[in-house]
Parts: sequence; C-alpha cells; structure tokens
Amino acid sequence: MRKDHAAIRRRLLALWERPHTLWGWFATVDHKEIGLRYLATAFAFLIVGGLEALAIRIQLARPEAAVLTPEQYDQIFTMHGVTMIFWYASPILSGFANYLIPLFSGARDMAYPRLNAFTYWTFLASGLFLYASPFVGQAPHAGWFAYVPYTLKEYSPGLNMDFFALALLFLTISTTAGAINFVTTIMRLRSPGMAISRMPLFFYSTFTISASIILSLPPLTAALVFLELDRQWGTHFYDTARGGSVMLWQQLFWFFGHPWVYIIFLPATGMISMIIPVFARRPIVGYTWVAFSTVLTGVVGFGVWVHHMFATGMTQMAMSFFSAASMTISIFSAVQVLAWVATIWQGRPVLKTPMLFALGFLLVFVIGGLNGIVTAAIPFDWQLTDTYFVVSHLHYVLVGANMLPVFAAFYYWLPKMTGRMLDERLGQWSFWLIFIGLNVTFFPMQILGLLGMPRRIYTYPAVTGWGSLNMLETVGAFVLTAGILLSIINFFRSMRYGVPAGPNPWNADTMEWETESPPAVYGSERVPVVATRHPLWDDFDEEFDPDDDRVFDEGRVTVVTSPLDAVPISIAKMPDDTLMPFLMAIAMTVLFTALLVKSMGIALAAVLACLIIAGAWLWPEAERQVPA
Amino acid sequence: MTTIAEGARVAMPHGVIDDRRGTWAMAMFIATEASLFVMLFFTYYYLRHVSRGPWPPEPPKMRLALIMLVVLLASSVVLHAGERAEKEGRKGTARLLVGATILMGVGFLVLQAVEYRNHLKTLLPTTDAYGSIFYTITSFHGAHLVLGVLMLVYVLALPEMGPNTKPPHRSLHNVSLYWHFVDFVWLLIVGLLYLAPNITR
Repeated sequence: MRKDHAAIRRRLLALWERPHTLWGWFATVDHKEIGLRYLATAFAFLIVGGLEALAIRIQLARPEAAVLTPEQYDQIFTMHGVTMIFWYASPILSGFANYLIPLFSGARDMAYPRLNAFTYWTFLASGLFLYASPFVGQAPHAGWFAYVPYTLKEYSPGLNMDFFALALLFLTISTTAGAINFVTTIMRLRSPGMAISRMPLFFYSTFTISASIILSLPPLTAALVFLELDRQWGTHFYDTARGGSVMLWQQLFWFFGHPWVYIIFLPATGMISMIIPVFARRPIVGYTWVAFSTVLTGVVGFGVWVHHMFATGMTQMAMSFFSAASMTISIFSAVQVLAWVATIWQGRPVLKTPMLFALGFLLVFVIGGLNGIVTAAIPFDWQLTDTYFVVSHLHYVLVGANMLPVFAAFYYWLPKMTGRMLDERLGQWSFWLIFIGLNVTFFPMQILGLLGMPRRIYTYPAVTGWGSLNMLETVGAFVLTAGILLSIINFFRSMRYGVPAGPNPWNADTMEWETESPPAVYGSERVPVVATRHPLWDDFDEEFDPDDDRVFDEGRVTVVTSPLDAVPISIAKMPDDTLMPFLMAIAMTVLFTALLVKSMGIALAAVLACLIIAGAWLWPEAERQVPA
Repeated sequence: MTTIAEGARVAMPHGVIDDRRGTWAMAMFIATEASLFVMLFFTYYYLRHVSRGPWPPEPPKMRLALIMLVVLLASSVVLHAGERAEKEGRKGTARLLVGATILMGVGFLVLQAVEYRNHLKTLLPTTDAYGSIFYTITSFHGAHLVLGVLMLVYVLALPEMGPNTKPPHRSLHNVSLYWHFVDFVWLLIVGLLYLAPNITR
C-alpha cells in the first residue's frame, strides 16, 4: 500500500522539525542549519581577515609610512594569518561538507548530529575567544606560526600569545570532533548502492582530510600545550639553557602545519571536481586517478614538513629526502589539474559564474604550484626563504586553491541552499574583479621577493625602490575587495529578487539536486538508491519504491550502509534536539578563559561542568513519537 | 552514461538497529589520542637527542611503576571478564567486575600520587627539560586514566550497560576500548621512560 505524499511529508516534518523558538534555535542538530551557520560564520571571518589585510596593504603602500604603529602592525598581520588559515579556510569547507554530504548521500543527518552542533558552537566560541584579544589590546603578534623563543614569556610578556595558544587549542577540539563525524558519515551513511567507486569526489577529499586531521592535529596540541606550560608554569621545553630546544616547536608545528595546508586545500579541489564536469557537460576524465591522487596527497602530505625548515641547518640526507618528497607531491596535484583540463577539453563548456571561478582557480593554482615547486629546490629556497616570494606563493595557493573554489561553490550551491539564483551579470563582474585584483596583488610580490623584500617587515626605506610595486599591490587589494563586495551584494539581492532555482537549475548529476531548493528539513522523502556515479544523468528512478520500503518514517532514523559496497545493513536512530552541545561550548569557553588568567579554581569548576553536561548529553531519553 | 531499465530493488534493513557508530567514534578518538602520545614520546626522544648532559640525569626508580603496571594490566583482564559477563547476560557479575576495575583504577591513581611525592623530592617539572617532559607524559596519562574511571562510573550508572536501543551504543564495550588503550600507554611509559634509561645506563 503506497502512502500518499502529503501524509509522508507530514510525518517526516513532525519527526525532524525543531520547535521554532529560541530554545529550538540553540538546540537544533539539523546539519543544514549548522552548515549554513558554519558558512556564515566562516565568511564573517573572511571579511574580518580581509579588512586586516587591507590595513597591512595601506601601511605598506608607501615607503616609511606610519599609518599603524609597529606593534599594531605585528598584531594585525598575525591576526590576518591566524584568522584566514584557522577560522576561515578550514571551517568554510566544513560548512559545505556539513550541508552537502548528507544530501549527496540521501542521509537524513550527519552520523553524530549532536557532536555536529558541538563542533559549530566551539568553532564560534574559539573565534570569539581569539577576537577578545584585540579588545584588551593584546592580540597575538608573532606571526601565524609563532616561533619560539619570540613567543616565550621573556620576549612576549603580555597575554598575546596565551590568547593564540588557548584559542587554537580550543579550535582543535572542534576540528577533531568534526573530522570524526565526517569519517563516520562518509563511511557509514552513504545511500544504498553508492559504493566507493560511485562516491562524488568531494567524499574522497573530505575523507582524506578528516583522517589527516585526526592524526595531524595532536602535534599542534602538543606544541601549544608545551608553549603554555613554558609561558605560564615555568617548564623548559623550549628553553635551550635548561635542556630544551627551540627547534622542537618548529618540528611539531610543521609536522602539523603541512598536512594542514592540504586540509584547507583538498576539499576545495573536491568541489572543483564536482563543478567542472557539470559545466563541461560530461563526466570527469580519470575519476579513479583523481580519487587516488587525492588520497595520496593526504598521505605524502605527512612527509614534507621539513621543507618549511630548510634554512635551519640539517644534514644533506634529510634535505634531499624532504626536497624529493615535496616535489613528489606536486605530481598528484598535476594529475588532478590534467584531469580537469581534459574534462573541459572533451566537454562542451558552459561559461556560467561557477565555471568562471573554477577556471580562474585552475590558472591561479598552476601559478601557485609552479612558484611553490621551485622553492622545493633547496638553493633557491635558501635565497628566497622569508621573502615576499613565499608570501606570493602561499597566497597564490591559498587564495587560488581555497577562496576561488569557495566562491565557485557558493555560486553553484547557494541556489540549493536559498532556493534563489544569483545574478549572472553581477557574478561575472565579481569574478573578473577578484581575478584581476588577486593577480595584481600577489604577482608583484614574487618580483619583490626576488628583489629581496623580507616578509613581515613593518616598513621599508624609499631607496630600496620597492615603493611602486607595493603601491600596485595595494591597488590590487582594493580591486579584490570590490569584487568580494559585489558578490555579497549579489547574495543579498538574490534573496529578494533572485529567480527561483527549482530543484536542479544546473542540470547537475549528483543527488543533492534531486531535493527541492531549499531542501526539506528531512532531506529527501525516500532514501534514494544509487546505481551509478551520475544518478541524475542516468535513466534510473531513485524514488521507485512501490512498497514504501524507503520512507523511514518510524522515527528519527536513517539508513546505515556498509563502508565499501554501501549495502544497507541497519537503521541508525538519530538523537533529538538538545541544548547540551551549546552548554558544553559555554563551559569550555569558561575553562579556556580561566586558563588564560590562571584562575585554576574556576577552571576546575568548568571541567566538572563539562563532565556533567557530557553525562546529560549521552543519557538515554524518550524518543520522539509521532501519531500515524 | 549508463542506462538502467528498472529500479534495482534493494532490501531495506527495517528493524535492525545500528549500535556501531559509538564504537567508530571511540576508535577515532583513540587514534587521535594515540597520535598525541606518539608526539609526546617523540618530544622525549627529541629532547634527549639535543641534550648535552646525561639523559635522564638520574634514571627513575622502577619498583612502583612496575607495581602500577601490574595493577593496570590486571584491571584490563577484569574489565574484559566484565564485558564477557555482560554479553552472556550475567548482569550482576558484570557490574561487580566493572566496579572492581574502577577500584583498581583508583588504586593506580593513589600509587601514582605516592610515586609523584617521592619523585618530586629530586626532580621537579621546572628543574629542566627532562623534568618537564617526564611529568607531562605521566600526568597526561594520569588524566586519561581519571577520564577512564569517570566513564566506567557513568556506564555503571546507565540503566543498561550493553547494547541498547536508546542510546544505540554498546557503552561498556566502547569504554573498555578506551581503558585498554590507556593501559597500553602505561606499558609504553614503563618501557620507554622507566625501563630503558635503567638498562642503557
């Protein structure tokens, strides 16, 4: 007996909708709502970090300028780096993953919905914790990699670096919990039939970086704990006079730091691998190769950290090894780039805004890759280390391989999230301004680097002759900003005047486009069965379900499938909305604030509060009942 | 593009409740914790590598650490027996054995307090880099054990320790995994921080 559409819908809504109250707003565990909050918050950090970048560019526009004081300048460039790398680049990708992964696979939510809410609240709380520092005038001021001994108490007596260390420790909790959630969701909640050979490529990249996060954040945790212990409790990890080592920080930090580069880059390439085929109107060329190179990038990414430290002095053997590893890893990137180019070549490309951003990414990423690979050659690296050449390289890869794909993804998926199309003309203007702006900003940095301009300097004398190129960069930065502003305007305009998107405005191939836009709170009505890599391009009815076998309206449940072949094996009960993740984030904020001011009584109380909240979080509770 | 004429019929597992997600989360939590301890041991050896004097200046005394090791290893056996009892439906025995594990964990912590009190007379965390890393590793382990004890107490307080429909987790099994992991770390600590310096001397 086939139930009627309206009845199913009513039941699913009753099961999945949160109460529309203030309580419901804080208690929701819906991955779509959390994903949107992630995106909005991370984008806000992009804007803040961008304003900081503008302040840096204004200070450097002319020689011997004094717009900022040296201390302000140090704090601003450090906050710019820290914000962009930790609170924008990775969380924005988590936002997309959160929103999209359950939709790609027809799951009703992430594997651990409450943990998911927790990761968002702790991401937000750690960001607010970091941004409390400028308000007491003591923002971090030692660059985003915070080398000791500058960061020890002796040279930085204020709270600046304590804010840095504790805010990052706080964030690692959020990031690790998120990674665990993604691994289980990808491995166990895929649609029936979505074997690993049929997963969207974004699954490969998110899975790879999640595994990387689980293994590569602990070195950062260790380094930061040592730093805090040295600064506040008198230990000697980094104190060379008492048997410590300053190199220990660099080893631990970069052992974390280089995998992190891939963590903020691979999911972006995963999104590109989904966008380019849609606009090239054909399946991606070399799916298996792209999948393998994604995973291998993550693996080899663990073996290249020392290339950040070539200038510190080490044996010939060690340098050769890490130089070779660093060159090897570019092979995997090249495989992906060739696959994208071949896809476009073989297809019939349609130049809509998302595709423009994807093409812009390809170009910028290749430049960034090339000026990176030359620095894997050690003599060249010795010449250029700590110059603007490196600044150029890292911005080409991070703006190129993170920000441009993120904009492509926004233009591509926002119609799904809001139900409204973005304006095409504004979008294209925005693209060209961003593309030209970023090249004008970052290309001259290579030349300045070759001319010998060191990174992180507060100002420079006029005789160096660096003035005109620096002015050009500053102009570029403003053009780039104008481009981003145009996209923001486009977004708000589309909310009001945008053309309704319909379920599948791009005629795309993956499952999220089967749901209405924006999707209902429960996702798709019937859990879809996937038979190919491109479910919506194939003549196959995922919703064919005469016996209502795939409705799953017996409770808050979703289907669990086997990790490799995605054979359905069981039904997962999903938890109800709860305030506990939010309360946990608050208790942790209290804990980290107490550690900051060394008030151990309050810290202990906060730990106890965390334990009690965790207990309440996991305690068995009544299931939501819905009348038939 | 492939064409499939008829919707493939896949049987749906109605009524089979998933109870493995908690175990997956615990496994990955243990993986990240293991990575943290690897980093701590790496730091120990890195500092030893760069140290100019003898490392450690004075090897730690073994006796108490070995007794603590025996207590922990025994507790793992007891907990495993408890898990088996739970599986076989002997609920009372299971709870008794979990309680015994908790007591052994607390016993370990008491012994660690004694060991610290003796040890602190000659070595402080602020003495030198060796003291810093030694106390960091052992106290991190101690904190993990405290967490393990608290989790066992929580499981004991749960209405149902084993597989359950709500929450759909095998609580006792998941906590046991963590407990065995923390035990294993102590084995490494005894080997690397206590035994090795005494042997190489």
